[in-house]
Amino acid sequence: MISRVADHCFWMGRYLERVESTSRVLRVTSSLVLDAILPPEQVWTSALAVSGEEESFVERNGVAAVGDGFRVTEFLTWDPAVRSSLARSVQAARENARSIREVVSLEAWEAINELHVWLHDGSGRTEWAVRPDAFYRQVRTWTQLILGAVEHTMLHDNAIDFIMLGVFLERVGQTARILDVHHHALMQLPADLVREETLWLSLLRACAGFEPFMKRKAGRVTPGEVATFLMLEPRFPRSLVFCLGEADQRLASIRSPGDEAFPPLRCQARLAALESFLASRRVPDEDLHALLTRVVDEIAAICSELHEELFQAPQRAWSPVRGEQLRAEA
Amino acid sequence: MLAEYHPLPGAFDELLGANERLRATVEAMLDGRSSEEFARTQALAEAALLNQGVTFSVYSDSRGVEKIFPVCLLPRIISAAEWSRLERGLQQRVLALEAFVEDVYADQRILEAGDIPRAVVLGSAQYLPALRGIRPPAGVRIHISGIDLIRDGAGVFRVLEDNLRTPSGVSYVLENRLLSKRLLARAFEAARVRPVNQYPARLAAALRSVSPVSPEETTLVVLTPGPYNSAYFEHSFLARQMGVELVEAADLFVDDDRLFVQTIRGPKRVHVVYRRTDDAFLDPEVFRPDSILGVRGLLRAWARGNVALANAPGNGVADDKGVYPFVPEMIRFYLGEEPLLEQVPTYQCARPEERAYVLEHLSELVVKVVDEAGGYGMLMGPTSTAEERAEFRRRILADPRRYVAQPRIELSTCPTWVSQGQCIAPRRVDFRPYVLNSAGGPWVLPGGLTRVALREGSYVVNSSQGGGSKDTWVLKGEG
Repeated sequence: MISRVADHCFWMGRYLERVESTSRVLRVTSSLVLDAILPPEQVWTSALAVSGEEESFVERNGVAAVGDGFRVTEFLTWDPAVRSSLARSVQAARENARSIREVVSLEAWEAINELHVWLHDGSGRTEWAVRPDAFYRQVRTWTQLILGAVEHTMLHDNAIDFIMLGVFLERVGQTARILDVHHHALMQLPADLVREETLWLSLLRACAGFEPFMKRKAGRVTPGEVATFLMLEPRFPRSLVFCLGEADQRLASIRSPGDEAFPPLRCQARLAALESFLASRRVPDEDLHALLTRVVDEIAAICSELHEELFQAPQRAWSPVRGEQLRAEA
Repeated sequence: MLAEYHPLPGAFDELLGANERLRATVEAMLDGRSSEEFARTQALAEAALLNQGVTFSVYSDSRGVEKIFPVCLLPRIISAAEWSRLERGLQQRVLALEAFVEDVYADQRILEAGDIPRAVVLGSAQYLPALRGIRPPAGVRIHISGIDLIRDGAGVFRVLEDNLRTPSGVSYVLENRLLSKRLLARAFEAARVRPVNQYPARLAAALRSVSPVSPEETTLVVLTPGPYNSAYFEHSFLARQMGVELVEAADLFVDDDRLFVQTIRGPKRVHVVYRRTDDAFLDPEVFRPDSILGVRGLLRAWARGNVALANAPGNGVADDKGVYPFVPEMIRFYLGEEPLLEQVPTYQCARPEERAYVLEHLSELVVKVVDEAGGYGMLMGPTSTAEERAEFRRRILADPRRYVAQPRIELSTCPTWVSQGQCIAPRRVDFRPYVLNSAGGPWVLPGGLTRVALREGSYVVNSSQGGGSKDTWVLKGEG
C-alpha cells in the first residue's frame, strides 16, 4: 500500500471519530445543562476543555460567554477557524477520503459526501438552529453509517486497517480527555455533590457508556467505578484498553509478527507497552489526572512514530540495500 | 412536449433531420411525460451527481470549488450505420497520427518529402527535440485519444480537433450512462443501445499491453496532479474502475533508471504510468525545473524502456492546431488511403495570403491559438466586439504561427431540456469519441461525450464556460 494513501486512510478515520465524539459531547452537554446542579459556565467549560479550545474561545468571545450555550456550541460546531470544530472535522475527513477515492468504497464515499453536502448547503445549519438535539443525533448517525459502510463494503485489507487504526487511536485520546476533564471538574465539588449520580451518568453518556455500565455494574454508580469502567473494561468498545487492543490488532494485521521483509515497528512496541502498563493499574488508587495525561501523551508519540515509519515521503525512506533486493526481483 | 419544438435556422437538427427510428426513440422517451415530471427526473439526476461527488474543480480560488458538470437526460442518438462510418474514420486517423509522431521523433520522412512544411512542425511549442530518437515501449504513443467532432449544416461529421495528450471526459460518459439506465430505463431498453462500461477493462488491457514486462507482472498506476486538479474526479474514477493505484508525483521516484512507488513496505517497481500530468510538468530534470508535480528522472527511465508512459511525451506536436490542416496529408503519406473523415477548412496565419484573408474577414471567422485548449484564447468573430477584433489583429501580426482561423460551422442541434423555461429546445452540440490504441491496434468506444451549449444561441460547449453533457446512445444494428 502506498505510504501517502495509508496516511490519508489513517486521518480519515481519526477525523470521522472526532466528528462523532464532538457531536456526542455537545448533545450530552446541551441536555445536562438543562437540569444540572452546576452553573452553566462550568458545564460548558468542560465541553470546551475536551476539545482543547477553552483558551481560544475565551480569547475570541470573552470569559462571560463561556456560560452561553448557544455561542459555545456554535463555536465548536460551525466555526471554520476552530481546528477541532465539527464542520472542519467533516471537511477534513472528506478531503482525506477524496484524496483516496480509489480506495474508499463508493457507498462509504457517498455517505461521507452526503454529510458534507448537508452541512454546506444550509439544510444542516437550519436543522441545527431549530432542533440542535436532532442535528447532533443526525451527525452521529451519519458517522456510524459511514463507518458501517467502510466495514461492510470495503475490502478488508490494509486500507481498512489504517482507517480503523485512526478511529481507535483517536477514540483513546477522546475517552481519556473526556474522563480527565470531567473527573477533574466533578472532584472540585463539595463532597455531597460529588456523589450526585446525574453528573457521572452524563459522563458515561458522553462516551456512549451508560447502558453498558449499568449492565456491568448493576447500577452501582460511584466515581471510582465509572473511571475504572471507562479505562479498563475490556468488553466496552470505547474504553481505553479496548481501543488500544483494537489498534494493536490492526497494526499486527499491517505488519504480522515474524514478517522478515518488513522491519519491526517502534510504534507497535510502544502501543503494546502502553496497553500492558494500563492493564496493571488499579484505578481508584491512582492519580487519575497524571495517568490520563500519560495516555494522551503516549498516543501523540505513537502517532508521530507511525508517521515516521509508515507515512513518510519516499526519497528519504529509500534504502540502497533494499533497492538491490528489489532490482534482483524485477 | 415536442409540439413546441422549432429547429434553429441553418443548423442541422439531429431530431428532425434523423431517420424514423431515431425520431421514434426520442418521441417514445417523452411519451406521456409532463414537463413537471421531466423536471423532477432532471433534478434527481443532478442530485445524484452532487451526492456522489461527480464534480470538476474550478479555480476561482486556490482551493478550487467543486461543481457538477450539468447533464441533460435527453440523449444524443447515433445510428448503427453512422457509427460504423465514424469508427473506421477514427481508426484511420489515429493510425496516421501515430505514424506521424513516430516519424517526427525519428527520421522525419514526411518533412523530407515536403508534404508538411518543416517550420509548421518543428516550430510547434509542443515539439520536444529532446525526445528525438527515443522509441517508447511497444512503439505506441497515442494510447488514449479524444477526437472532437462536429456536424455541419448538412449533417456531415467533421473533425474539429484532435486531443492526443491527456484527453478528459470519459468518466462522464460512464456516469451519464448510469443515469440513463436508472432514470430512463424503459426507453433505454427499447432503443437497443451499445454498452460503454467495458471501457475501463479495455483501457487497463491496452495499458498493460505496452508494459516492458508481461501483463501479469505489470504494476500499472494512474498519476494525478492531485485532488485540486479540475479532472481529479476522473483520475480517481479510472483508477478505481481499473482496480489500480492512484499516485501523486511525491509517491514516485527513479533509481537506476527504474521507477518505484513508495509503499508502507518500502519501494515497489512500477511498469506503466497512465499519467494525467502535462508534459511540461512530468520531469523537472528535462522540462520545467520548478515543477513539483513531476518525478525527477522519469524521462530517462522511459527512454531506457523501463517504464511505459501513456500518453507518450511529445504527442502535442500532432494535435497542434497549426498541424491539424495536414492530417489528411498524413493519412495519404503513411497509409496510402484517402481520409474517411472530413475536416474544417483552416486558414494558417503563418502563410501571408491566408493571413491577409483572415485579417480581412475577422468578423466572420473563429480564430484559435494553436496550443491552447478548453475554449480559451479564442475569438468568435461573428459575436465579437470591434476592440476584440483589433486586439486579435495585433496578436496575429505579432506571432502569426500561433494562430489559425476557421469559418464558423453551424453546429448541429439536439433537443435539450431547458430548466429556466421548463421546456425542450434545440441546443448546439459537439462530440468527443475515445480511441484506445495498443499493441493490437486501435479500438473505438461505441459512445462518447456529447457536450451541449446550454445557453440559448451559444456555440461554446466547454464545461468551464456554461456547457453541459448528454449521454450518447450508439444504437445496435437493425438486425
